[in-house]
Amino acid sequence: MATDLPRRPLVDSGPFWFSVSVLGSLGGVWLAGQALRRYVNPPPWGFAILLVGLALIFLAGFATWKLARAGVYSWLLPLAAINLLLLQPGRAGDVRTWRLEWGVMGLVWTLAAVLVFARLLHRSDELERRLHLEGAFFGLATGLVGSVVYALFETRLPELRGQWVAVALLLSWWVGYLATARRYRWLA
Amino acid sequence: MKNRLRVLRAERDWSQADLAEALRVSRQTVNAIENERYDPSLPLAFAIARVFTLRIEEVFTPDAEPPPPTGEPPE
Repeated sequence: MATDLPRRPLVDSGPFWFSVSVLGSLGGVWLAGQALRRYVNPPPWGFAILLVGLALIFLAGFATWKLARAGVYSWLLPLAAINLLLLQPGRAGDVRTWRLEWGVMGLVWTLAAVLVFARLLHRSDELERRLHLEGAFFGLATGLVGSVVYALFETRLPELRGQWVAVALLLSWWVGYLATARRYRWLA
Repeated sequence: MKNRLRVLRAERDWSQADLAEALRVSRQTVNAIENERYDPSLPLAFAIARVFTLRIEEVFTPDAEPPPPTGEPPE
């Protein structure tokens, strides 16, 4: 019998580009934030830090594109969750215009991600669509149960932020996808 | 649903990737069907039979054979 394809090499695998994208996002946002925080009285290394930060963000974008190109769409879910946490409007401080800019930026990226993800799903085969459907159902069911449980204890729990709900839904969708993929031996 | 995908592939010396390319699905989907973890849709089942130039019942068989028809409509 013809031998089946070997597993993808590490440098062409979902976990590799996911890690690159996460590190790029976290490092880039942190470095760019450090540089921009001192924009009034910039230190000599400020511009270099800003450039490195922007380069890391660009690298994160490239890694995300590689994930989509490789067809490992499921890794886009936790990636979106992490980036949503990075773009929380509350992180912009109490300046209203900054909060608006961060919020609008997050909304634009989220809408773009939803459109891209819908297009990718349209191009995937019937089993992968089924995996995402069952995963999304698990995410929705978990979200419903979680929101009811939160309502029961909301007086004793910290105030819920909208983006936390989105992050929780994305992560539970991903967990549901992984569980379903395991059931169908999709990851074999 | 039982299937003979692995045997049919072996007879033709095709890899899962070769079959997946012919069917325009992913290798993982071929793997899931071959391991009888997933029953393909009717269009995909017909496409699989067509790729092997066989009839669909020569590739797929149900787990339990249905009883022979009696010629009378069910009540």
